[in-house]
Amino acid sequence: MVPSACWNCVLRPRAAATRALLPPSSSAPRVASAPFHSSAAQYAQPAKKKANTQTMMKHRQSMSIRRKKKKPVDRVRPPPVGERKALKKRIVLSNPNALEIEGMADLSAETMSNPSLRGTIMGLPVDKLDQLRAVEAFKPKQSWSLFRRPSTVFRRSTYEMGRLIDQITGDVEGAQQGKVVKKIVTGPKGSGKTVHLLQAMTMAFIKKWVVITVPDARELVSGDTAYSPIEGTNPTQYVQPNATSTLLSRVVKANQDVLAGLRISQQHPALKGLKPGSTLADLAKLGLQDAAVAWPVFQALWTELNATKAAPGVKDEFQPRPPMLVTLDGLAHWMGESVYRAADYTTIHSHDLVFVNHFLSLLTQGQTLGNGGLVLYATSTSNSPSNYSLEVGLDQLAARQEGVKPSSPEYPQPESYSDADPRVMDLFQASMSKDGLLELQTLSGLTRDETRSYVTYFARSGLLREVVNDQLVGEKWSLSGGGVIGELEKVLRRPQLSRPQVATATA
Amino acid sequence: MAGHRSNCIAQAMQLLRLPSSTSRVTVSRAPSHLRPPRTQTRTYATSEEAVSPAAPEIDFSTSSSRSPARIVPASPAYFSGSPRFIDHVLKLEKLQTKYSGLPTMEASEAPRMAWFKLAQFRDFVGEPVPTKKYKSLVKILQRLNRIQPAAVPAEVRSTLESFLRPGNPYAQQLAPPTVDESGRARGRGKRKESSAVVHLVEGEGEILVNGRSLVDVFKRVHDRESALWALRCTQRLDKYNAWINVRGGGVTGQAEAITLATARALLVHEPALKPVLRKAGVISVDARRVERKKPGHVKARKMPTWVKR
Repeated sequence: MVPSACWNCVLRPRAAATRALLPPSSSAPRVASAPFHSSAAQYAQPAKKKANTQTMMKHRQSMSIRRKKKKPVDRVRPPPVGERKALKKRIVLSNPNALEIEGMADLSAETMSNPSLRGTIMGLPVDKLDQLRAVEAFKPKQSWSLFRRPSTVFRRSTYEMGRLIDQITGDVEGAQQGKVVKKIVTGPKGSGKTVHLLQAMTMAFIKKWVVITVPDARELVSGDTAYSPIEGTNPTQYVQPNATSTLLSRVVKANQDVLAGLRISQQHPALKGLKPGSTLADLAKLGLQDAAVAWPVFQALWTELNATKAAPGVKDEFQPRPPMLVTLDGLAHWMGESVYRAADYTTIHSHDLVFVNHFLSLLTQGQTLGNGGLVLYATSTSNSPSNYSLEVGLDQLAARQEGVKPSSPEYPQPESYSDADPRVMDLFQASMSKDGLLELQTLSGLTRDETRSYVTYFARSGLLREVVNDQLVGEKWSLSGGGVIGELEKVLRRPQLSRPQVATATA
Repeated sequence: MAGHRSNCIAQAMQLLRLPSSTSRVTVSRAPSHLRPPRTQTRTYATSEEAVSPAAPEIDFSTSSSRSPARIVPASPAYFSGSPRFIDHVLKLEKLQTKYSGLPTMEASEAPRMAWFKLAQFRDFVGEPVPTKKYKSLVKILQRLNRIQPAAVPAEVRSTLESFLRPGNPYAQQLAPPTVDESGRARGRGKRKESSAVVHLVEGEGEILVNGRSLVDVFKRVHDRESALWALRCTQRLDKYNAWINVRGGGVTGQAEAITLATARALLVHEPALKPVLRKAGVISVDARRVERKKPGHVKARKMPTWVKR
């Protein structure tokens, strides 16, 4: 049994009694004691009543937690107008961290039709990069920024195009000299259609051709630029002065050297400000200064570039004009109604825009370029409206190329009751009325050899840390759907987490 | 067992009563351990005591020393809950120790035996045997089954056979799939709601899914990789062409259905790849499906939010 008083209390009862009368000394440290004593609890200050308990709350009062309202945070200023778009559209052509590849050949007049270089990676000539930028040959998201300098695969199709350009120029003996070759470039997504155009432009610049490009067909029909009807036309045609002015600026910037060396040889009564004896570059610049005359200026420039001899009454000696390369990306946008509206609020067909109509008329039969050249129109798969008429037209083109007669039942025709655009069908009909005029070029995947050199290129640039052997190449080839180069790039730029071992690449 | 037991006791009781009626009857029929000790036999009939011949002298040296002092059950495990089961286990353990020196083979090579299922075994012994204990018994059976066929003693064989299910479930072997006359191997696979059929031919690594390119069907590189994982992990991607038909489900399900189907088709061409493929995880079937929604639930398991009023 526990005694009610401890030994201390029993021994000194008097002291304990006196202390009990005194108030507790605040200075003396209170020692926590076992419940053996009751004195500690007796001397303690009366317990404070707890605030904020629910029992203390008044009735009909809000029970929810009261939170302090957050002060509105000062937001960071949004980037200035146009900054975001500029960032999206920025094209970075080099990466100083990537390794430089020694012994890589450049695309040049000698190499562009060299069959022994087929399947290798060839750099784009550095002195042509500004011109290529001017014609907007590079697109964002093409991963140029992965490598030290822009370079492309010299594929079979590239080699054939190089040879063709050589023949048209007349550097190589052939029947093609001074002829016009018209092609529509198609292929699955990522198969290198735009890069094919880029290679064509590079070769054309090397050969000192005049390069005229429409880098994005959508901009002409999507209602982005101003348009106005041309009086006295029936059906009404529409001109897009600003777009034409931009086109002229691209032409001048990219072909400055060629155009500055050529003098006007035709009469241009419509252009008052044009002095006799001025160069074609001066002519084109008229359109830059005043968008209102851009379209007449472009027409004048076009006649000048396609002239084969001087008009009567022009004193200057006629300088022969170089061949021309005309490229277009995203053909499908031009094969239907545009979003522009006529005065009666009907939609304007894209073929009623003179700009569009001019470029589409180059596909029709005949020597549409006076001094020969190459017309390359590519379809796009990353940004393309579904267009039934174009599909049928391309099918017809492919059938025609395989030798199917238009009268035969196998010849593809638009489905009955399908709303195929008659103007588009007419366009394809007109361009195919004679054999061998408009060609269809379908790009597909790389071959194994080309894939191998592409994979090696990644390895030598320091992007791929694996041994490049047949097995790796075959694996990447299969994963990219049979060497589709855009997919191949996606597969190769993935971090290779599954294989940690670092190995030197075999060149 | 119960019947046997009651019989024993009845016999014993009868023996106890015997001397009262006919004292001359010999008790040699009863087994020695059940025979009651003679010292305890007494008769209450005093009138005939003088007339009846005296009992033969008890020879303590021979019989009584060996006979037990009480009734002993036949099975030593009689007082445990499951004596028959324990008897079986003990018997098997004895066999195992006895023949532990015999040569064995790999478990995968041992003949496949259809042991009793648990419910069948319970019927067989007539006792409620726990799952875990039956598993330990099957373990011993499997160990005995691993003895090389040439060296199996007849005793072991007969014992093992007594634990087999009636009929022979493993008699019908499915014909192994073979490559057809055009060199195609066919494999089917399922995952989630998708099912894929893959025809695999020796070739260059060209792959068509529903007649389209692999890139068209699977936009994500990850899906492409998982679809071809069976070929990739065995480094056969550039050695076969695949013609794939896949139906149902979503993109991921289709890709993984293709994985399984490709692995099965590849096994037809090269059965030796099985361990590699197993390790790569492309042989195991993922049988999970979407769990059904239940009434009263928001989804399969989710309950509606609790509201006070």
